[in-house]
Amino acid sequence: MTRRIIDARLHLLSRQVLDVDGEPVTTVEDLELRGADGGDVVAGEPAHVAAILSGPVLVTRILGGRPPQSRWERIAWSAVSHLGTVVELDVEASTLDVDWPERWLREHVVRRIPGGQHDPEGES
Amino acid sequence: MILGDLLDAHVVTHDGEELGRVVDLRLSLEVLEEGDGSGGGPDEAEPGGPDEREHGSGDADDQGDDGDTPLVAQTHRSHAVGSADVVGLLVSPHTGGSFLGFERRGVRSPWVVAALVRWRHRGTFLVAWHDVERISPGLVHLVPGFEKLDPTLDEGEDA
Amino acid sequence: MKKLLGVALGILTAIGGFVDIGDLVTNAVVGARFGFSLVWVVAVGVIGICLFAEMSGRVAAVSGRATFEIIRERLGPRAGGANLVASFAINLLTLTAEIGGIALALHLASSVEPRLWMPVAALAVWLVLWRVKFSIMENVVGLMGLLLIGFAVALFLLGPDWSQVAREITQPAVPEGEHPAAYWYYAVALFGAAMTPYEVFFFSSGAVEEKWTAKSLGQNRLNVFTGFPLGGLLSVAIAGCAAVVLLPHGIEVSTLSQIVLPVAQAGGTLLLAVVIVGIVAATFGAALETALSSGYTLAQYLGWSWGKFRRPAQAARFHVTMMIALLLAVAILMTSVDPVAVTEFSVVFSAVALPLTYIPILVVANDPDYMGARVNGRVANTLGSVYLGIVLVAALAAIPLMIATGAGS
Repeated sequence: MTRRIIDARLHLLSRQVLDVDGEPVTTVEDLELRGADGGDVVAGEPAHVAAILSGPVLVTRILGGRPPQSRWERIAWSAVSHLGTVVELDVEASTLDVDWPERWLREHVVRRIPGGQHDPEGES
Repeated sequence: MILGDLLDAHVVTHDGEELGRVVDLRLSLEVLEEGDGSGGGPDEAEPGGPDEREHGSGDADDQGDDGDTPLVAQTHRSHAVGSADVVGLLVSPHTGGSFLGFERRGVRSPWVVAALVRWRHRGTFLVAWHDVERISPGLVHLVPGFEKLDPTLDEGEDA
Repeated sequence: MKKLLGVALGILTAIGGFVDIGDLVTNAVVGARFGFSLVWVVAVGVIGICLFAEMSGRVAAVSGRATFEIIRERLGPRAGGANLVASFAINLLTLTAEIGGIALALHLASSVEPRLWMPVAALAVWLVLWRVKFSIMENVVGLMGLLLIGFAVALFLLGPDWSQVAREITQPAVPEGEHPAAYWYYAVALFGAAMTPYEVFFFSSGAVEEKWTAKSLGQNRLNVFTGFPLGGLLSVAIAGCAAVVLLPHGIEVSTLSQIVLPVAQAGGTLLLAVVIVGIVAATFGAALETALSSGYTLAQYLGWSWGKFRRPAQAARFHVTMMIALLLAVAILMTSVDPVAVTEFSVVFSAVALPLTYIPILVVANDPDYMGARVNGRVANTLGSVYLGIVLVAALAAIPLMIATGAGS
């Protein structure tokens, strides 16, 4: 097994996240770190990346502070399949909680406008 | 804990002496073998592995087509990954800003920007995670006798 | 014909950047006040935009990442966010001006009150965004915008003293009676128009829309080196017409009909009609470019799905963003502001957006993770660094010059 050394800010933060079909999901707004046993991080003890965070945590990264844990929108690190210039997941966007604003607008606004389902690359 | 808690935090010695600020978190990423055993990172010798996924379409996989196979192979480094473990913190004495990628050994162009970024981050060092003693909000304490390591990022197995 | 259509992306991008309604007016004003003495700025701007658009297109082709994705990735949420706010403001102000401009041009052709045309123009733009395939959009609008070539034809028909013109171009001087600050204000405005950031947002996103790959690098260069010089040529032709006809009579340009006056004088009604169609198409094209750019920038900053190649339902937030931008543009116009005056405020936002756009492009075009062997060569890096310096100087100088000259007046 090989390992690759990366820097979190350079290689992960603000990168585009794509789902298993290559559809954009979000950007990496922050990372959740956990200790070896899945508990809280203890300084100096082994720690790893447990989840990609998105959503409200962007606002606090710009303005400072941090949102309460109950408002973190997580994508488990175990769902990450590939890492290159983008972060690729092995699940579909529709199965992720972080995708709710897209789904809400799709169902309540865009689909209701005539032509919202029209495939622009298709015939006619 | 989230990464945002660490970035820009002040780093002090055990005795409280200010050393700088956290500018990045270094991770060790597990790279998995893929089906045909090409997980070790694509290079020229290994064109068109399963790694060359490009924007969700197969358009890029055109090896053999007008001879640009090596190009495609070189330009898309994507690894099947497992766990990402914390290795250490990058501490910069002068600024909390980003390194813009110029901490990597092979990246030195354009030199004006590279020189400027490296000058702003002069004196930056890597401190191993096991040398971190205590973390309080906005403050990282290091153990007595911590070691300042070379911050340069060698590009993993490419070295 | 196929080859010609292959460069439509570059042509449409350049038309939106060089000859949108704000630039039409600026170019004519420049010609009427400064003659050919600012042509060198257009040349400097054309080289700059070619350089950075080529990089942005190359990054998009090789890595599949459009420009605002790399801005967000490399600058992070704060500096990237500052750029987003500034760029979105430029997009919105330009979009507002273009919707107003389409209405003004249609008013010129129909004499129906422009305010009645505004919602019609906005609706037409939205229908194209909503429904029309990207390639059809760029081909039709790009080719029709080329009718602005009528200005170049008019300039030849007017037959100025070419040796005199050449002297003015190669030995530029501030004309008598003009303050140097006004000269430099227009120099910065022309440079900013040539390098306006939505060109690279649109161009790189268009490359993704067209599904470019590393094989498309030749197409990238062809688009860049055809489109932008052509845009610069149109811009100079418009200024030239004004310099030949309006400058000697001391006519100050304030309306669209004054801009096309030299064309009517040189080529009669037929050429005038051609040019008016060109203006409508160019303005419409710029409206599409800025409306799409508002969607591209926000979606790419936040990681949403985007693009006209997707069904609208598959890029819901992207399409809603563009609808809101269009509604805001119409709302701003309904306050009876002068649509062209609106674009003058873009200069302020450009001071933020220009450096924060071109620095990350230059950095990522050198990043082997993205580019592999296709990183910048030495020439691109040397020129890119020089232009970064020019961009910084122009950005710093823009606001003081604007205040000192009262926006050039």
